Amino acid sequence: MKLHEHEAKDVFKAEGIPVPRSVLATDPEGVARAAREAGFPCVLKSQVLRGGRGKAGLIKLVRSEPEARDTAAALFASPHGVRRILVEEAVDIDRELYLSITVDPAAAEAVVLACSEGGVEIEDLAARSPEKIVRERVPLAEGLSPYRARNVAYALGLSGDAAKKTAGILEALWRVFRKNDAELAEINPLFLTKGGGVVAGDGKLAIDDNSLFRHPGREPGRDYYDSDAAFEAAAEGIPYLQFDGDISLMCAGAGLTTVVYDLIVDEGGSVANYLEFGGPNYKKAVRAMELCLKNEPKVILIVTFGTIARADVMAEGIADAVKRLAPKCPIVACIRGTGEEKAVETLRSLGLDPLFDTEEAVRKAVALAAAARGSGAAPGAGGSK
Amino acid sequence: MSVFIDRSDRVLVQGITGGEGTFWTKHMRDLGTDVVAGVTPGKEGQSVEGVPVYHTVRRAVAEHPADAAMLFVPPRFTKDAVLEALDAGIRKVVTIADGIPLHEALEIRAAARSCGARVVGGNTSGVISPGRAMMGMFPYWIERVYRPGRIGVMTRSGSLTNEVTAMIVRAGFGVSSLLGVGGDSVPGTRFAEFLPDFQADSGTDAVVVIGELGGTMEEEVAEAIESGVFCKPLVAFLGGRNAPAGKRMGHAGAIVTGGKGTVEGKAAALKRAGAAVADRPRAVGDLLREILGDPAHS
Repeated sequence: MKLHEHEAKDVFKAEGIPVPRSVLATDPEGVARAAREAGFPCVLKSQVLRGGRGKAGLIKLVRSEPEARDTAAALFASPHGVRRILVEEAVDIDRELYLSITVDPAAAEAVVLACSEGGVEIEDLAARSPEKIVRERVPLAEGLSPYRARNVAYALGLSGDAAKKTAGILEALWRVFRKNDAELAEINPLFLTKGGGVVAGDGKLAIDDNSLFRHPGREPGRDYYDSDAAFEAAAEGIPYLQFDGDISLMCAGAGLTTVVYDLIVDEGGSVANYLEFGGPNYKKAVRAMELCLKNEPKVILIVTFGTIARADVMAEGIADAVKRLAPKCPIVACIRGTGEEKAVETLRSLGLDPLFDTEEAVRKAVALAAAARGSGAAPGAGGSK
Repeated sequence: MSVFIDRSDRVLVQGITGGEGTFWTKHMRDLGTDVVAGVTPGKEGQSVEGVPVYHTVRRAVAEHPADAAMLFVPPRFTKDAVLEALDAGIRKVVTIADGIPLHEALEIRAAARSCGARVVGGNTSGVISPGRAMMGMFPYWIERVYRPGRIGVMTRSGSLTNEVTAMIVRAGFGVSSLLGVGGDSVPGTRFAEFLPDFQADSGTDAVVVIGELGGTMEEEVAEAIESGVFCKPLVAFLGGRNAPAGKRMGHAGAIVTGGKGTVEGKAAALKRAGAAVADRPRAVGDLLREILGDPAHS
């Protein structure tokens, strides 16, 4: 779960990392008021969870109260779903650095990445000039000892007070990383100010989803998702991704669902949503179909090959869903695995013609979707042959 | 021979009295696995499917020496259960837990490495050598998927494994050992770390790797081939070829970030190393026949 910049900076600040003075506002008037208090020029930073905000025009420097009000109104009205703007004092920048802590899965350690060029995407830099990236490994059992922080600061070419302050900030960033079960804790850019200060210009903090149970109050709200269906699915614990194509995937097993997605694209079809109701969710067929139907798909494609997610139980759930929800679009089903003989019976009694081959099921779904597109309406009602 | 688990391994089941533990203990034994004891704190003196239950791993192994531990333990207690098994001297551990906290997954892998142990998982169906032994949850009774044979399989996905393995069997082959390394971003053991075992296994003629987008495990397989660690034929099938960047495709580890972890890049690395890459599940069987010949005539 990625936190918004203002949330990340709150966490940084509580751990002792200096951040610019700022106020969060939710409407143009609030932004104008906050800007007046911050003084001019100041920076309006749209709180959205996407990279490259600067390039997308979502971060603006303003020099007067009317400019702040007008700029905020334009940002709130933009198609990027801006609901909050962080109004921040402008910082007198001398240099920019990059600092982050993430995990190294192969080494089974954390790793610090740092660079004396800040404000650029680290991936771009890694591709362009990897020699500029300073790496420091951090075994979890040891933690980020002060000597490791010094290693990084001096490798960045810093000296004197700036080196000390940067090392201190890195130690604080380690505490942020550990306390928040982070996948990534990043400061990009870290400002060295003309007055000799070191300040976090931006803040990124991604909390590991599997650790969210240890962070009550961090449950992601609606604005962390790009659709209502994605938000509702998350509340159910059902993996779901929103797309805008024709075929709703209602599959079991993450790997299989991903491959069904690949095959649909290969066959020239398009996906309305990715939904995976395997594992602990295999009894949630009714809820899963409800979510799929929100997209008004041209076809629902069900593909499973389950072990724990028993085929017979899923088939009964699907029967229940079809009876309750009476979907207007055709359903293509390919259900295999534990209890599949019974599953086939259940599906046949629904009037469905269960298939046993994933690729065949995908081709059929793509053909049905194309036919529905051609006729301008979904053929049949309540399932199909 | 087989890789990781065989009939001779004595297996301890942690979390044996839970629903999944009980159900799959029965199936592990039915397949031939030597399950010697179970552990559930507070349940010592009970038995599950004829297997005696102990409070702690230490107490269990005092009565029943064990080579391997199978964990049916919820994700938030998995690190503790793994450390308990390692402390008792067990050096092979399989955990199915889906949702192990990231930092704990790092600690689990680090602990295993420091004592020369292997932890397989989490977020996996486990490990099976069809016809011999199993640690985990596989519908081994479905013969068109789990036929014994001479093809090794390594995978990041349970559901996809059934799909691909069915194609291996349909092409006339069978499976020697199947290792589910799991779908997490920090698996306890990585693909390339099993390749020396498959290389040494006289029961394996070729290996199928079922990978997907995200991480670097497939690239590490390519490196192992290039460095000569693994010289048998290898066929890979990779899910997520058409997945949009930045979207997590179901598994915690299945995500492309900053242009890293694309299937395109993985396939290129594997092909460069001399591996065959299948573009769909069915092609795995076709490629094996091309490389190994018709199994009916071998």
